[in-house]
Amino acid sequence: MSQVRWLLRRLAGGIGVLVGAATVTFLAMELIPGDPARALVGSAPATPQTMDLIRHEMGLDLPLPVRYARYLGRLATGDLGRSYQLQQPVSTIIGEQVWPTVQLALAATVLAFAGAVLVATLTAGRWRAARGIAQAAELVAVSTPSFWLGLLLLSVFAFRLRLVPVGVDQGPAALILPAVTLAVPVGAILTQVLRDGMEGALRQPFVVSVRARGVTEFTLRARHVLRHGLSPAVTLSGWLVGHLLGGAVLVETVFARPGLGRVTLAAISSRDFPVVIAMVLFVAVVFVAVSTAVDGLYRVIDPRLRGASP
Amino acid sequence: MTIVDTTRRVPRVPTAGVVAAGIVLALLLLAVLAPGLLTRTGPDEVDPIIALRAPDGTHWLGTDQLGRDVFTRIVHGARISLVTGIAATLLAVVAGTVLGLLSALGGRIVDEVLMRAVDVLLALPGILLALLVIAVLGPGPVSELVAIAFAAVPGYARMIRGQALSVRRADYVTSAVAIGVRPAGLVWRHVLPNSLGPVLVLATLGTGSAIIIGSSLSFLGLGPRQPTPEWGAMLADGRDFLSTAWWVGVFPGLAITVTVVAVTVLGRRWQRRFEGVR
Amino acid sequence: MRQLRTMAAAATALALLAVAGCGSTPAAGEGAKDEGAPVAGGTFNYAIDSEPSCLDPHVSLADATAFITRGVVDSLVVQDADGSFKPWLAKSWKVSDDLRTYTFDLRTDVTFHDGTKFDAAAVKANFDRIVAKETKSQYASTLIGPYTGTTVVDEHTAEVRFSAPFQPFLQAASTAYLGIQSPKAFTDYAGALCEHVVGSGPFVFASHTRQQNVTLTRSPSYPSAPPNAKHAGPAHLEKVVIRFLSESATRLGTLTSGEVQGISAVPVPNVAAVQANTSLQLIRTDAQGAVYTLFPNTSRAPFDDEKVRLAFQRALDVDTLVKSVYFGQYRRAWSFLSPNTKYYEPSLEQRTKYDEAAANKLLDDAGWTARDADGYRTKNGKRLAVAWPYTQQQAAVQQRGTFAQAVQAAEKKIGIEVVRTSVQTAELFGLVAKAQYDIFDESWTRADPDLLRIFYASTSKPLTGQNISWVNNAEVDGWVNGAAATADDAKRKDAYSRTQLWVQEHAVAFPVYVPAYLLAASTKVHGLRSDPASFPLLYDAWLSK
Repeated sequence: MSQVRWLLRRLAGGIGVLVGAATVTFLAMELIPGDPARALVGSAPATPQTMDLIRHEMGLDLPLPVRYARYLGRLATGDLGRSYQLQQPVSTIIGEQVWPTVQLALAATVLAFAGAVLVATLTAGRWRAARGIAQAAELVAVSTPSFWLGLLLLSVFAFRLRLVPVGVDQGPAALILPAVTLAVPVGAILTQVLRDGMEGALRQPFVVSVRARGVTEFTLRARHVLRHGLSPAVTLSGWLVGHLLGGAVLVETVFARPGLGRVTLAAISSRDFPVVIAMVLFVAVVFVAVSTAVDGLYRVIDPRLRGASP
Repeated sequence: MTIVDTTRRVPRVPTAGVVAAGIVLALLLLAVLAPGLLTRTGPDEVDPIIALRAPDGTHWLGTDQLGRDVFTRIVHGARISLVTGIAATLLAVVAGTVLGLLSALGGRIVDEVLMRAVDVLLALPGILLALLVIAVLGPGPVSELVAIAFAAVPGYARMIRGQALSVRRADYVTSAVAIGVRPAGLVWRHVLPNSLGPVLVLATLGTGSAIIIGSSLSFLGLGPRQPTPEWGAMLADGRDFLSTAWWVGVFPGLAITVTVVAVTVLGRRWQRRFEGVR
Repeated sequence: MRQLRTMAAAATALALLAVAGCGSTPAAGEGAKDEGAPVAGGTFNYAIDSEPSCLDPHVSLADATAFITRGVVDSLVVQDADGSFKPWLAKSWKVSDDLRTYTFDLRTDVTFHDGTKFDAAAVKANFDRIVAKETKSQYASTLIGPYTGTTVVDEHTAEVRFSAPFQPFLQAASTAYLGIQSPKAFTDYAGALCEHVVGSGPFVFASHTRQQNVTLTRSPSYPSAPPNAKHAGPAHLEKVVIRFLSESATRLGTLTSGEVQGISAVPVPNVAAVQANTSLQLIRTDAQGAVYTLFPNTSRAPFDDEKVRLAFQRALDVDTLVKSVYFGQYRRAWSFLSPNTKYYEPSLEQRTKYDEAAANKLLDDAGWTARDADGYRTKNGKRLAVAWPYTQQQAAVQQRGTFAQAVQAAEKKIGIEVVRTSVQTAELFGLVAKAQYDIFDESWTRADPDLLRIFYASTSKPLTGQNISWVNNAEVDGWVNGAAATADDAKRKDAYSRTQLWVQEHAVAFPVYVPAYLLAASTKVHGLRSDPASFPLLYDAWLSK
């Protein structure tokens, strides 16, 4: 299959996922009990006429298929609508809040990969004791909910030891704890995958020949084995990004950080439909983009894949 | 959340670890079935006079802001956490199995539609899916259950489909079809028994994830109604006391971690054995 | 020049201090002491616990909106600590005998931050906007009552008219919700007014970053300081950054680490630690208005039976519960009105006694004699259960969720099941509108006993009013409506006393605690006063080096 055809197919699949995500969200929002017009007005006194006016403004008086068609049409033109609660265009809100979350997710990704590479390289296929300790730590890491880890780190390092600032706009230092919290469970899983890949590679014949050339164990691991181990870990990237964005809901709540996660949580509890829809689409877009990019990268790096279907 | 790749080598779990996990799970089981055996009082017995007592001989893990015994509440909370985790996982397995089999055996169009839907759901993080479900159904124990299950269904569906397809292509099944075995019989006789092993392993490990998502939802205030002793909710209540009365939040948090570790350890042990047999 | 102005300001401040004596609110506990002459300049970082969804005081009902915009918009009049009204944007005013017309003589030297002149037309534009349907006002339109219109008599005289006698108008007009914004901004920022507030106050609204902060900057000139302020001219602080930190532990942490100089809503478990910290001060102000109260829905069973309501009340050991949940930081409430609200009825104190035996007897008398397997009382096979729906946001305020669990445990002892159901905001309003609940809990900050009308007049049904107890009593109507239609002090006192006694006697409110504004600040912060709504005023505040 040619590169272009592959890319087109991936894009079509991606758009399919996005339309699907939009549909899922639309249906979910339709099923929610309670009157969105009332959610908009809050506890304010409002006559039935006012409520009807608001419903009309929101298009709530139209039949379902019409609303769905209009909804998809608006999304297609990039119009995400206005937030009911915040009285602002949704694109503005996302624009404002996306950067803190991206910072957090990027920092967590770097930490997770760096930690995973370090631990896996050091422990793959040797030192039973070290490996056992690392595995036990990984097990505890994936078994601890992020909100719990976050609270623990916060009260020890920020409140008790005062090593890092608590506040949110204190520059990179305030990013440390949230990023670590988000990175730990992801890093633990990456370490497991990476170590497996490396141990697989260590058993392969080329290792013997490389060793025979007299390279040090460190060079062998860092230059040759790690590369083999990395590929299964990198294929997890799409999942990883989704996980980070999902985890941001809890981590941002615990650390009182601004960002998309908290916006999502607030929007879900106040039934701010346009914001919820936009967030789901945003996550889906990121997922599709990242997994397409990673697959594409692989095709470039590894010519063997070019013949295979996606 | 936990990515389980059955082709991957599972870490070997030392026997001591398995025994410890077994003991933990046995205690949890006892807490679920007969919490009264482990505690003296009910989980909701409020006594403001003894509020926020530090752990001592009478109150092993201290008391909370209303003077309720933290140990008692953790014991009673085991039922909520474990039952929610296990029930949600079973629900997800059943739904995933049905969808996976439909997809594998229901023809090309069904397969396309279902797998595209699964793709969509897999693109969204589990916690976001769970939050969406809770937004639709409203908070509460049942919607929490459905929410956790919903987040896990796509994974099981895809896996069952894969298993079913590989069994279908196996020689003995091809010959079974050739000699005229009906599809329903085929599913019953060959596909299900062969898929069940890996699914059950996946489900055991998935229970750990389900407990984590469940406690996260409760932490966000979307779990069972008050005053139900749920570990995530107890931790949320305790967060304002981390500097003054750490025991209110720390012990429920430990309970979550220890439980999930124990479940995972047993799941991995099972996974190894299962793979060894294969 | 700058030095001179500072000194002049300090001199004025001292002079005013001498005249005004102690200008803090009656309930202010350990207030900020005034040490030395105020210093101009500096940035005050203040962390509060909630972020309003809209910063337009005409639209929002959030306390946080009132606090943030209080420094930005001035009002026609100011309410002093003793409850009396003093001139502000209005130099003087006349009230017609029928309490239907208020004529304001306005200041002539005031300019909005965008350069627009303040005049009678501006007053009209503001009040007309509040009641306009498109504004979707959530609270200001209730405060302004039976408003029919404003007449611009001349450039600096405005006549505000009502369709019925409306005594509470001055109090309403003194709040930030009815603060005067620049009419030009209504068109300049049409559609974005929740993010842009243009007033004539001592601070200019500079920016809002969602989920982070609001920044206010000092207005270079401020001719219209209210007479109860401690100085005149521009504010001392050069900049105020109001940060939004909803996690209590984090909020407190930013204060102790010095990242902010003040926080609102000090978590009660940590109050002792704050008091013990010599570099911090605690300022505690009891709120005026309706105390934190559980309101029974008297329109349906079981709370349509007064005996059941009385039993519910007797079963609550409010003293002990409030003490333990709030570490003694909040006072136990006896009446619907908080003790520092005008016409509070002190004879209610000590009247409602905790008495489990009496509660049990009342339920027996009411016919709830059988008990089911779970220990709850039943009548004709039906369990004695009351539904108490709530939202997560409600439960998080002042640990009300925890308090509710204590209520559940207490009522369980006498056999009443309290069912707490967590719902979403829209759903909750739906339940309230349809009277499908048995308990609704809230407190309401307002420095005026007219709240009794909003909560108990039969015409004040949810959601246009706040009669969430669904009381429909001709006598009560007579008192609360009568009090709103008279300026006679004795008559009003009598009517409000009777109403409070009636509310207690018939158990149509279960008052719990008097909410307090707990503010902690660095000892470098001086001159923080509380306004009648108990929020700190930023105008007189200053930072020492």
